[in-house]
Amino acid sequence: MSGRRSRPRQSASYSRITDDQINDLLPKLQALLPEARHQSNDRASAAKVLQETCSYIRSLHREVDDLSERLSELLAATDTNSPQAAVIRSLLM
Amino acid sequence: MNIQTEAAGREEITISDAAIDPVTPSPGKYRVRKRKNGTLKTAQRSACRWRTNYQQRIYCSKLVEALRRVRRTEAPPPAEHPHGRSVRETADRVLAVAARGRTRWSRAILADRPIGVKLRRARGAAAAASCSIRRKKSGASDPAGGRRVNQPSLERKAKLLGRLVPGCRKLSLPSLLDETSDYIAALEMQVRAMSALAEILSASGSGAAGDGAVAAGQLESNPPGYSGAGTLQ
Repeated sequence: MSGRRSRPRQSASYSRITDDQINDLLPKLQALLPEARHQSNDRASAAKVLQETCSYIRSLHREVDDLSERLSELLAATDTNSPQAAVIRSLLM
Repeated sequence: MNIQTEAAGREEITISDAAIDPVTPSPGKYRVRKRKNGTLKTAQRSACRWRTNYQQRIYCSKLVEALRRVRRTEAPPPAEHPHGRSVRETADRVLAVAARGRTRWSRAILADRPIGVKLRRARGAAAAASCSIRRKKSGASDPAGGRRVNQPSLERKAKLLGRLVPGCRKLSLPSLLDETSDYIAALEMQVRAMSALAEILSASGSGAAGDGAVAAGQLESNPPGYSGAGTLQ
């Protein structure tokens, strides 16, 4: 019941914010996605851009997870060699 | 800790806002002004900031230090090597620190850690349950209006996006897109930095310090006239 009552209110206020501002912000958001740089940017339906943004963020998360797994294994291996740890530190700074 | 980060955030915002608009009267209004006027500027600024080599190097060195500290505190002879999970959390935290408290997602990451993931999971489960109920209701009303179909789906996707970016669930759409652009740029830098770090570690781990030097030279991506590999040899 409260859900039904709030939804028309939600959609009304939502449309007041969105239409103009979304059309302004969409190209900026689209420029961030890696695909947008290859394709022509006119397929700018808001839903599609949002969807691709979500999946791109998810893939970035997955990459970070994989990299952290790899790093944890590598760190376990290299931590025992202190001269090489010093080398790494000097290389990075 | 919240007070400190909030004060730091306010300081940052007032400094940048003084650059944009020196006429505004009171410091309390700065935050609102910044959100409304600065969307394009903040996007460009944030993307450029995360792409610089300088930023990446800072992140790398901080990450190495943080990882070392974590390894030392976890257990001196680790029974199992530190899970990817703790590395991931460390990396996220260092990323949030590198953001210097200017963005909501970074503050959310830093604030969220001590409380723990349990609360978030419980809240997430409750939110997911209520979301599914709402979705069923909107599905029932679909034949009622053609336009209403588009808006809930758009809103749903915006909420999904808000859930992906930490700390941005209840954000209005323009500020959400702001945060998203900065978050994506930061994540890309995180990926670049961590993969470079992994390259260095694996190269040096295989026993050839010379290879590690070459890999580090690529990481530093030389300013003209300076060759990292050359000086090390």
